[in-house]
Amino acid sequence: MEPGNPLLDSYVLGLCRRKRPRVCFIPSASGDADHYVVRFYRHFHGGICEPSHISLFRRDCGPGKVREHLLAQDIIYVGGGSILSLLGVWRAHGIDADLFAAWRAGVVMCGVSAGSLCWFASGLTAYHHDARPYRGLGFLPYSNAVHYEEESSRRPAYQAALLDGSLPAGYAASDGAALHFVGTDLHRVVLSRREARAYRVETVGDEVVELPLEATYLGDRPPIALVA
Amino acid sequence: MGGGGFCMEPDNPALDDYILGLARSPLPKVCLLPTASGDGEAQIRQFHATFGARACEPMHIALFRLGIHPVPLRETLLAQDVIYVGGGSMLGLLAVWRALGLDAILRECWQAGVVLAGLSAGAMCWFEWGISSSLGAPAPAPGLGLLPGSLSVHCDGEPARLPVFRHAVRGGTVPPGWAADDGVGLLFRGSALQDVVSSRPRARALRVEPGADAPVAARRLTVREQFGDPPDIAEYRRMRLSR
Repeated sequence: MEPGNPLLDSYVLGLCRRKRPRVCFIPSASGDADHYVVRFYRHFHGGICEPSHISLFRRDCGPGKVREHLLAQDIIYVGGGSILSLLGVWRAHGIDADLFAAWRAGVVMCGVSAGSLCWFASGLTAYHHDARPYRGLGFLPYSNAVHYEEESSRRPAYQAALLDGSLPAGYAASDGAALHFVGTDLHRVVLSRREARAYRVETVGDEVVELPLEATYLGDRPPIALVA
Repeated sequence: MGGGGFCMEPDNPALDDYILGLARSPLPKVCLLPTASGDGEAQIRQFHATFGARACEPMHIALFRLGIHPVPLRETLLAQDVIYVGGGSMLGLLAVWRALGLDAILRECWQAGVVLAGLSAGAMCWFEWGISSSLGAPAPAPGLGLLPGSLSVHCDGEPARLPVFRHAVRGGTVPPGWAADDGVGLLFRGSALQDVVSSRPRARALRVEPGADAPVAARRLTVREQFGDPPDIAEYRRMRLSR
Protein backbone atom coordinates (compact mmCIF):
# COMPACT_ATOMS: atom_id res chain seq x y z
CA MET A 1 0.00 0.00 0.00
CA GLU A 2 2.83 2.40 -0.82
CA PRO A 3 1.46 5.58 -2.39
CA GLY A 4 1.80 5.37 -6.15
CA ASN A 5 3.70 2.09 -5.98
CA PRO A 6 1.58 -1.05 -6.38
CA LEU A 7 4.55 -3.40 -6.97
CA LEU A 8 4.41 -5.28 -3.66
CA ASP A 9 0.60 -5.39 -3.64
CA SER A 10 0.61 -6.87 -7.16
CA TYR A 11 3.28 -9.35 -6.12
CA VAL A 12 1.18 -10.60 -3.22
CA LEU A 13 -1.96 -10.86 -5.38
CA GLY A 14 0.10 -12.75 -7.96
CA LEU A 15 0.87 -15.46 -5.39
CA CYS A 16 -2.71 -16.69 -5.64
CA ARG A 17 -4.11 -18.78 -8.43
CA ARG A 18 -7.57 -17.27 -8.19
CA LYS A 19 -8.16 -14.42 -10.60
CA ARG A 20 -9.76 -12.21 -7.98
CA PRO A 21 -8.15 -13.40 -4.75
CA ARG A 22 -10.02 -12.90 -1.48
CA VAL A 23 -7.99 -10.45 0.58
CA CYS A 24 -8.82 -9.64 4.19
CA PHE A 25 -7.21 -6.63 5.84
CA ILE A 26 -6.61 -6.68 9.61
CA PRO A 27 -5.81 -3.16 10.82
CA SER A 28 -5.73 -3.99 14.59
CA ALA A 29 -2.22 -2.57 15.07
CA SER A 30 -3.52 0.89 14.12
CA GLY A 31 -6.60 0.60 16.33
CA ASP A 32 -8.63 -0.03 13.16
CA ALA A 33 -7.89 3.51 11.93
CA ASP A 34 -10.53 4.62 9.43
CA HIS A 35 -8.05 6.24 7.05
CA TYR A 36 -6.03 3.02 6.92
CA VAL A 37 -9.07 0.92 6.09
CA VAL A 38 -9.96 3.39 3.34
CA ARG A 39 -6.41 3.18 1.99
CA PHE A 40 -6.66 -0.61 1.87
CA TYR A 41 -9.86 -0.50 -0.16
CA ARG A 42 -8.33 2.07 -2.49
CA HIS A 43 -5.33 -0.17 -3.21
CA PHE A 44 -7.11 -3.52 -3.06
CA HIS A 45 -10.25 -2.55 -4.93
CA GLY A 46 -12.93 -4.83 -6.28
CA GLY A 47 -11.43 -4.72 -9.77
CA ILE A 48 -8.41 -6.81 -8.76
CA CYS A 49 -9.59 -8.79 -5.72
CA GLU A 50 -12.41 -9.45 -3.28
CA PRO A 51 -11.46 -7.17 -0.40
CA SER A 52 -12.78 -7.28 3.17
CA HIS A 53 -11.52 -6.20 6.56
CA ILE A 54 -11.91 -7.24 10.18
CA SER A 55 -12.32 -4.51 12.74
CA LEU A 56 -11.97 -5.73 16.31
CA PHE A 57 -12.57 -2.32 17.89
CA ARG A 58 -15.70 -1.54 15.91
CA ARG A 59 -17.76 -4.64 16.16
CA ASP A 60 -20.60 -3.08 14.16
CA CYS A 61 -18.71 -3.66 10.93
CA GLY A 62 -16.89 -6.59 9.45
CA PRO A 63 -17.84 -10.25 9.35
CA GLY A 64 -19.32 -11.81 12.47
CA LYS A 65 -17.64 -15.17 12.28
CA VAL A 66 -13.98 -14.24 12.29
CA ARG A 67 -12.46 -17.70 12.12
CA GLU A 68 -14.61 -18.88 9.23
CA HIS A 69 -13.97 -15.67 7.38
CA LEU A 70 -10.21 -15.91 7.83
CA LEU A 71 -10.15 -19.53 6.68
CA ALA A 72 -12.03 -18.58 3.52
CA GLN A 73 -9.38 -16.06 2.42
CA ASP A 74 -6.57 -16.35 -0.10
CA ILE A 75 -4.59 -13.55 1.49
CA ILE A 76 -4.57 -12.04 4.97
CA TYR A 77 -2.95 -8.62 5.04
CA VAL A 78 -1.97 -7.17 8.41
CA GLY A 79 -1.49 -3.42 8.68
CA GLY A 80 1.20 -1.57 10.61
CA GLY A 81 1.04 0.19 13.96
CA SER A 82 1.80 -0.94 17.49
CA ILE A 83 3.13 -4.51 17.65
CA LEU A 84 2.41 -4.91 21.38
CA SER A 85 -1.15 -3.72 20.99
CA LEU A 86 -1.62 -5.93 17.94
CA LEU A 87 -0.51 -9.08 19.73
CA GLY A 88 -2.39 -8.20 22.92
CA VAL A 89 -5.66 -7.57 21.08
CA TRP A 90 -5.30 -10.70 18.94
CA ARG A 91 -4.61 -12.91 21.93
CA ALA A 92 -7.55 -11.41 23.84
CA HIS A 93 -9.85 -12.22 20.91
CA GLY A 94 -8.30 -15.60 20.14
CA ILE A 95 -7.35 -14.43 16.64
CA ASP A 96 -3.84 -15.86 17.05
CA ALA A 97 -5.25 -19.39 16.91
CA ASP A 98 -7.49 -18.50 13.94
CA LEU A 99 -4.53 -17.09 12.03
CA PHE A 100 -2.49 -20.19 12.73
CA ALA A 101 -5.29 -22.36 11.37
CA ALA A 102 -5.51 -20.15 8.26
CA TRP A 103 -1.75 -20.27 7.72
CA ARG A 104 -1.74 -24.07 8.05
CA ALA A 105 -4.58 -24.20 5.55
CA GLY A 106 -2.44 -22.41 2.98
CA VAL A 107 -3.67 -18.82 3.24
CA VAL A 108 -0.96 -16.32 2.24
CA MET A 109 -0.09 -14.20 5.28
CA CYS A 110 1.46 -10.83 4.69
CA GLY A 111 1.83 -7.46 6.29
CA VAL A 112 3.83 -4.35 6.74
CA SER A 113 5.86 -3.17 9.73
CA ALA A 114 4.05 -4.54 12.84
CA GLY A 115 2.15 -6.68 10.32
CA SER A 116 5.49 -8.28 9.39
CA LEU A 117 6.95 -8.52 12.90
CA CYS A 118 3.95 -10.46 14.20
CA TRP A 119 4.62 -13.64 12.19
CA PHE A 120 8.07 -14.18 13.65
CA ALA A 121 9.15 -15.68 16.97
CA SER A 122 10.33 -12.36 18.32
CA GLY A 123 11.62 -8.91 17.60
CA LEU A 124 11.96 -5.51 19.19
CA THR A 125 9.28 -2.96 19.91
CA ALA A 126 10.32 0.51 18.96
CA TYR A 127 7.83 2.79 20.58
CA HIS A 128 9.37 5.31 22.97
CA HIS A 129 12.82 4.61 21.57
CA ASP A 130 12.93 2.08 24.35
CA ALA A 131 13.16 -1.08 22.31
CA ARG A 132 12.20 -4.22 24.20
CA PRO A 133 11.95 -7.82 23.00
CA TYR A 134 8.43 -9.21 22.59
CA ARG A 135 7.09 -12.66 21.77
CA GLY A 136 5.43 -12.85 18.35
CA LEU A 137 3.12 -15.51 16.93
CA GLY A 138 6.16 -17.58 16.02
CA PHE A 139 4.95 -19.07 12.72
CA LEU A 140 8.47 -18.26 11.49
CA PRO A 141 11.12 -19.35 14.02
CA TYR A 142 13.34 -16.30 13.57
CA SER A 143 13.54 -12.72 14.73
CA ASN A 144 12.53 -9.86 12.45
CA ALA A 145 13.46 -6.19 12.16
CA VAL A 146 11.65 -3.65 10.01
CA HIS A 147 12.38 -0.07 8.86
CA TYR A 148 15.93 -1.36 9.20
CA GLU A 149 17.68 1.46 7.41
CA GLU A 150 15.07 4.17 7.84
CA GLU A 151 15.00 4.45 11.64
CA SER A 152 18.51 4.98 12.95
CA SER A 153 17.93 3.38 16.36
CA ARG A 154 16.57 0.06 15.07
CA ARG A 155 19.74 -1.44 13.66
CA PRO A 156 22.00 -1.01 16.72
CA ALA A 157 19.20 -2.09 19.08
CA TYR A 158 18.48 -5.20 17.01
CA GLN A 159 22.13 -6.16 16.79
CA ALA A 160 22.65 -5.61 20.53
CA ALA A 161 19.65 -7.86 21.27
CA LEU A 162 21.08 -10.59 19.01
CA LEU A 163 24.43 -10.32 20.77
CA ASP A 164 23.07 -10.54 24.31
CA GLY A 165 20.94 -13.51 23.30
CA SER A 166 17.54 -11.91 23.85
CA LEU A 167 16.66 -12.49 20.18
CA PRO A 168 17.38 -15.45 17.90
CA ALA A 169 18.98 -14.97 14.47
CA GLY A 170 16.64 -13.48 11.92
CA TYR A 171 15.82 -11.30 8.98
CA ALA A 172 15.90 -7.53 8.65
CA ALA A 173 14.21 -5.50 5.93
CA SER A 174 14.30 -1.87 4.94
CA ASP A 175 11.20 -0.09 3.61
CA GLY A 176 10.28 -1.45 0.19
CA ALA A 177 11.87 -4.85 0.77
CA ALA A 178 9.65 -7.92 1.24
CA LEU A 179 10.72 -11.28 2.64
CA HIS A 180 8.76 -14.11 1.03
CA PHE A 181 8.71 -17.33 3.02
CA VAL A 182 7.28 -20.64 1.84
CA GLY A 183 6.57 -22.69 4.95
CA THR A 184 9.31 -21.52 7.25
CA ASP A 185 11.98 -21.22 4.53
CA LEU A 186 12.93 -17.94 2.93
CA HIS A 187 11.92 -18.29 -0.70
CA ARG A 188 12.95 -14.96 -2.16
CA VAL A 189 13.32 -11.25 -1.46
CA VAL A 190 11.49 -8.77 -3.65
CA LEU A 191 11.76 -4.99 -3.78
CA SER A 192 9.38 -2.21 -4.67
CA ARG A 193 12.23 0.32 -4.49
CA ARG A 194 15.50 -0.28 -6.19
CA GLU A 195 17.56 0.84 -3.19
CA ALA A 196 15.74 -1.31 -0.64
CA ARG A 197 17.71 -4.03 1.17
CA ALA A 198 17.13 -7.13 3.25
CA TYR A 199 19.58 -9.04 5.42
CA ARG A 200 20.00 -12.28 7.24
CA VAL A 201 21.39 -11.22 10.61
CA GLU A 202 23.04 -13.61 13.02
CA THR A 203 25.82 -13.80 15.56
CA VAL A 204 29.08 -15.60 15.06
CA GLY A 205 30.99 -15.73 18.32
CA ASP A 206 30.66 -12.27 19.77
CA GLU A 207 30.13 -10.56 16.45
CA VAL A 208 27.01 -9.74 14.48
CA VAL A 209 27.10 -10.80 10.85
CA GLU A 210 24.81 -9.03 8.42
CA LEU A 211 24.45 -11.00 5.22
CA PRO A 212 22.85 -8.96 2.40
CA LEU A 213 20.21 -11.07 0.66
CA GLU A 214 19.91 -11.35 -3.08
CA ALA A 215 16.79 -9.49 -4.11
CA THR A 216 14.70 -8.87 -7.20
CA TYR A 217 13.43 -5.40 -8.01
CA LEU A 218 9.84 -5.83 -9.16
CA GLY A 219 9.79 -2.70 -11.29
CA ASP A 220 11.96 -4.00 -14.12
CA ARG A 221 9.61 -4.74 -16.94
CA PRO A 222 10.39 -7.66 -19.20
CA PRO A 223 12.29 -6.44 -22.28
CA ILE A 224 10.04 -5.50 -25.16
CA ALA A 225 10.62 -7.65 -28.21
CA LEU A 226 11.05 -5.46 -31.23
CA VAL A 227 9.49 -6.87 -34.33
CA ALA A 228 10.91 -5.52 -37.53
CA MET B 1 -20.99 5.89 33.74
CA GLY B 2 -23.42 3.46 32.23
CA GLY B 3 -23.25 5.64 29.13
CA GLY B 4 -23.23 9.42 28.73
CA GLY B 5 -20.77 12.28 28.81
CA PHE B 6 -19.19 13.82 25.73
CA CYS B 7 -19.05 10.53 23.82
CA MET B 8 -22.79 9.92 23.92
CA GLU B 9 -24.52 13.15 24.86
CA PRO B 10 -22.29 15.98 23.60
CA ASP B 11 -25.06 18.53 24.21
CA ASN B 12 -25.47 17.54 27.84
CA PRO B 13 -22.31 18.29 29.82
CA ALA B 14 -23.81 17.45 33.22
CA LEU B 15 -21.78 14.29 33.81
CA ASP B 16 -18.58 15.74 32.39
CA ASP B 17 -18.94 18.81 34.61
CA TYR B 18 -19.65 16.55 37.56
CA ILE B 19 -16.38 14.68 36.88
CA LEU B 20 -14.43 17.94 36.64
CA GLY B 21 -15.98 18.98 39.96
CA LEU B 22 -14.45 15.90 41.60
CA ALA B 23 -10.90 16.91 40.74
CA ARG B 24 -8.60 18.28 43.40
CA SER B 25 -7.58 21.29 41.31
CA PRO B 26 -9.73 24.20 40.08
CA LEU B 27 -8.03 23.84 36.70
CA PRO B 28 -7.75 20.07 36.50
CA LYS B 29 -5.53 18.23 34.08
CA VAL B 30 -7.82 15.82 32.25
CA CYS B 31 -6.42 13.07 30.07
CA LEU B 32 -8.56 11.04 27.68
CA LEU B 33 -7.58 7.44 27.00
CA PRO B 34 -9.48 6.64 23.79
CA THR B 35 -7.98 3.13 23.62
CA ALA B 36 -11.30 1.25 23.61
CA SER B 37 -12.29 2.99 20.38
CA GLY B 38 -8.93 2.17 18.79
CA ASP B 39 -7.97 5.83 19.40
CA GLY B 40 -10.86 6.84 17.16
CA GLU B 41 -10.56 10.33 15.71
CA ALA B 42 -14.21 11.16 16.32
CA GLN B 43 -13.96 10.41 20.05
CA ILE B 44 -10.76 12.42 20.41
CA ARG B 45 -12.23 15.38 18.52
CA GLN B 46 -15.41 15.40 20.61
CA PHE B 47 -13.38 15.21 23.83
CA HIS B 48 -11.36 18.29 22.90
CA ALA B 49 -14.50 20.11 21.72
CA THR B 50 -16.16 19.45 25.09
CA PHE B 51 -13.25 19.84 27.48
CA GLY B 52 -11.45 22.51 25.48
CA ALA B 53 -14.33 24.87 26.33
CA ARG B 54 -14.18 24.09 30.06
CA ALA B 55 -11.96 25.14 32.92
CA CYS B 56 -9.39 22.40 32.60
CA GLU B 57 -6.27 21.36 30.74
CA PRO B 58 -7.36 18.59 28.41
CA MET B 59 -5.04 16.17 26.63
CA HIS B 60 -5.28 12.67 25.23
CA ILE B 61 -2.91 9.76 24.83
CA ALA B 62 -3.31 7.65 21.68
CA LEU B 63 -1.57 4.40 22.61
CA PHE B 64 -1.72 3.14 19.02
CA ARG B 65 0.26 6.13 17.86
CA LEU B 66 3.00 6.15 20.50
CA GLY B 67 5.49 5.23 17.80
CA ILE B 68 4.82 8.55 16.08
CA HIS B 69 4.03 10.61 19.19
CA PRO B 70 6.00 9.14 22.10
CA VAL B 71 4.66 10.01 25.57
CA PRO B 72 6.24 9.00 28.89
CA LEU B 73 3.17 7.09 30.05
CA ARG B 74 3.72 6.78 33.80
CA GLU B 75 4.88 10.34 34.38
CA THR B 76 2.15 11.83 32.20
CA LEU B 77 -0.67 9.83 33.72
CA LEU B 78 0.48 10.35 37.31
CA ALA B 79 0.50 14.10 36.68
CA GLN B 80 -3.23 14.14 35.79
CA ASP B 81 -6.12 15.10 38.03
CA VAL B 82 -8.63 13.12 35.98
CA ILE B 83 -8.15 10.16 33.64
CA TYR B 84 -11.19 9.73 31.44
CA VAL B 85 -11.59 6.48 29.52
CA GLY B 86 -13.76 6.51 26.41
CA GLY B 87 -16.11 3.76 25.26
CA GLY B 88 -15.57 1.00 22.73
CA SER B 89 -14.29 -2.54 23.05
CA MET B 90 -13.63 -3.62 26.66
CA LEU B 91 -11.64 -6.64 25.51
CA GLY B 92 -9.51 -4.55 23.18
CA LEU B 93 -9.04 -1.85 25.82
CA LEU B 94 -7.73 -4.22 28.48
CA ALA B 95 -5.60 -6.19 26.03
CA VAL B 96 -3.79 -3.06 24.88
CA TRP B 97 -3.43 -1.69 28.41
CA ARG B 98 -1.94 -4.95 29.65
CA ALA B 99 0.39 -5.19 26.66
CA LEU B 100 1.74 -1.72 27.41
CA GLY B 101 1.75 -2.01 31.22
CA LEU B 102 -1.04 0.53 31.74
CA ASP B 103 -2.88 -1.73 34.16
CA ALA B 104 -0.15 -1.21 36.74
CA ILE B 105 0.24 2.50 35.97
CA LEU B 106 -3.48 3.16 36.36
CA ARG B 107 -3.57 1.35 39.68
CA GLU B 108 -0.76 3.61 40.82
CA CYS B 109 -2.68 6.68 39.62
CA TRP B 110 -5.76 5.53 41.50
CA GLN B 111 -3.75 5.04 44.70
CA ALA B 112 -2.24 8.49 44.20
CA GLY B 113 -5.70 10.06 44.16
CA VAL B 114 -6.23 10.65 40.45
CA VAL B 115 -9.95 10.60 39.58
CA LEU B 116 -10.57 7.64 37.26
CA ALA B 117 -13.65 8.11 35.10
CA GLY B 118 -15.15 6.62 32.01
CA LEU B 119 -18.22 5.34 30.28
CA SER B 120 -19.26 1.96 28.98
CA ALA B 121 -16.08 -0.12 28.47
CA GLY B 122 -14.27 2.78 30.14
CA ALA B 123 -16.43 2.31 33.25
CA MET B 124 -16.58 -1.49 33.44
CA CYS B 125 -12.80 -1.74 33.17
CA TRP B 126 -12.34 -0.53 36.77
CA PHE B 127 -14.40 -3.37 38.25
CA GLU B 128 -13.61 -7.03 38.76
CA TRP B 129 -16.07 -7.95 36.01
CA GLY B 130 -18.13 -6.32 33.31
CA ILE B 131 -20.50 -7.44 30.58
CA SER B 132 -18.75 -6.90 27.28
CA SER B 133 -20.06 -7.25 23.76
CA SER B 134 -16.58 -7.08 22.22
CA LEU B 135 -17.02 -10.57 20.79
CA GLY B 136 -20.57 -9.99 19.53
CA ALA B 137 -23.15 -11.21 22.05
CA PRO B 138 -22.88 -9.77 25.58
CA ALA B 139 -20.70 -11.96 27.84
CA PRO B 140 -18.91 -11.57 31.19
CA ALA B 141 -15.38 -10.17 30.89
CA PRO B 142 -12.84 -9.59 33.66
CA GLY B 143 -11.72 -6.02 34.36
CA LEU B 144 -8.82 -4.48 36.26
CA GLY B 145 -10.49 -5.11 39.62
CA LEU B 146 -9.68 -1.78 41.27
CA LEU B 147 -13.31 -1.70 42.39
CA PRO B 148 -14.84 -4.81 43.95
CA GLY B 149 -17.84 -6.36 42.26
CA SER B 150 -19.15 -5.90 38.77
CA LEU B 151 -20.78 -3.36 36.48
CA SER B 152 -23.04 -3.71 33.48
CA VAL B 153 -23.71 -0.65 31.31
CA HIS B 154 -26.30 0.72 28.85
CA CYS B 155 -29.00 -0.96 30.88
CA ASP B 156 -31.78 0.92 29.07
CA GLY B 157 -29.97 1.55 25.75
CA GLU B 158 -28.85 -2.05 25.16
CA PRO B 159 -31.39 -4.22 26.97
CA ALA B 160 -29.70 -7.51 25.97
CA ARG B 161 -26.98 -6.98 28.57
CA LEU B 162 -29.00 -7.06 31.77
CA PRO B 163 -30.33 -10.65 31.45
CA VAL B 164 -26.80 -11.89 30.74
CA PHE B 165 -25.53 -9.93 33.76
CA ARG B 166 -28.27 -11.24 36.08
CA HIS B 167 -27.68 -14.79 34.90
CA ALA B 168 -23.92 -14.50 35.48
CA VAL B 169 -24.43 -13.05 38.98
CA ARG B 170 -27.01 -15.71 39.91
CA GLY B 171 -24.77 -18.46 38.57
CA GLY B 172 -21.82 -17.13 40.55
CA THR B 173 -19.49 -16.54 37.56
CA VAL B 174 -19.62 -12.80 38.25
CA PRO B 175 -19.72 -11.17 41.72
CA PRO B 176 -22.72 -8.98 42.63
CA GLY B 177 -22.62 -5.44 41.30
CA TRP B 178 -24.45 -2.65 39.56
CA ALA B 179 -26.25 -2.14 36.29
CA ALA B 180 -26.41 1.46 35.09
CA ASP B 181 -28.59 3.17 32.51
CA ASP B 182 -27.20 5.56 29.93
CA GLY B 183 -26.68 8.87 31.69
CA VAL B 184 -26.08 7.37 35.13
CA GLY B 185 -22.80 7.83 36.98
CA LEU B 186 -21.69 5.89 40.04
CA LEU B 187 -19.13 7.61 42.25
CA PHE B 188 -16.82 5.48 44.34
CA ARG B 189 -14.36 6.77 46.91
CA GLY B 190 -11.86 4.07 47.64
CA SER B 191 -14.04 1.08 46.96
CA ALA B 192 -17.24 2.42 48.53
CA LEU B 193 -20.17 3.70 46.48
CA GLN B 194 -20.74 7.28 47.52
CA ASP B 195 -23.05 8.93 45.04
CA VAL B 196 -25.32 7.96 42.16
CA VAL B 197 -26.04 10.77 39.72
CA SER B 198 -27.85 11.12 36.45
CA SER B 199 -27.84 13.49 33.51
CA ARG B 200 -31.25 12.38 32.28
CA PRO B 201 -34.70 12.15 33.82
CA ARG B 202 -35.81 8.67 34.86
CA ALA B 203 -32.36 7.13 34.39
CA ARG B 204 -31.48 4.75 37.19
CA ALA B 205 -29.12 2.13 38.49
CA LEU B 206 -29.79 -1.35 39.81
CA ARG B 207 -27.99 -3.29 42.48
CA VAL B 208 -27.84 -6.84 41.18
CA GLU B 209 -27.42 -9.59 43.77
CA PRO B 210 -27.80 -13.35 43.42
CA GLY B 211 -31.22 -13.13 45.08
CA ALA B 212 -32.87 -10.09 43.53
CA ASP B 213 -32.35 -6.66 42.01
CA ALA B 214 -32.77 -3.50 44.02
CA PRO B 215 -33.26 -0.15 42.28
CA VAL B 216 -30.84 2.59 43.33
CA ALA B 217 -32.17 6.13 43.12
CA ALA B 218 -30.05 8.48 41.03
CA ARG B 219 -29.76 12.15 41.89
CA ARG B 220 -30.58 14.22 38.81
CA LEU B 221 -27.79 16.61 37.88
CA THR B 222 -28.61 19.91 36.36
CA VAL B 223 -25.92 21.82 34.60
CA ARG B 224 -24.78 25.08 36.23
CA GLU B 225 -27.39 24.74 38.94
CA GLN B 226 -25.05 22.46 40.80
CA PHE B 227 -21.77 23.65 39.41
CA GLY B 228 -21.94 27.37 38.83
CA ASP B 229 -18.58 28.80 37.87
CA PRO B 230 -16.61 30.56 40.57
CA PRO B 231 -15.57 34.02 39.29
CA ASP B 232 -11.94 33.12 38.60
CA ILE B 233 -12.95 30.06 36.60
CA ALA B 234 -15.50 32.07 34.63
CA GLU B 235 -12.80 34.58 33.78
CA TYR B 236 -10.39 31.87 32.74
CA ARG B 237 -13.04 30.30 30.54
CA ARG B 238 -13.81 33.64 28.87
CA MET B 239 -10.09 34.15 28.17
CA ARG B 240 -9.79 30.70 26.76
CA LEU B 241 -12.77 31.08 24.50
CA SER B 242 -11.64 34.47 23.23
CA ARG B 243 -8.26 33.13 22.16
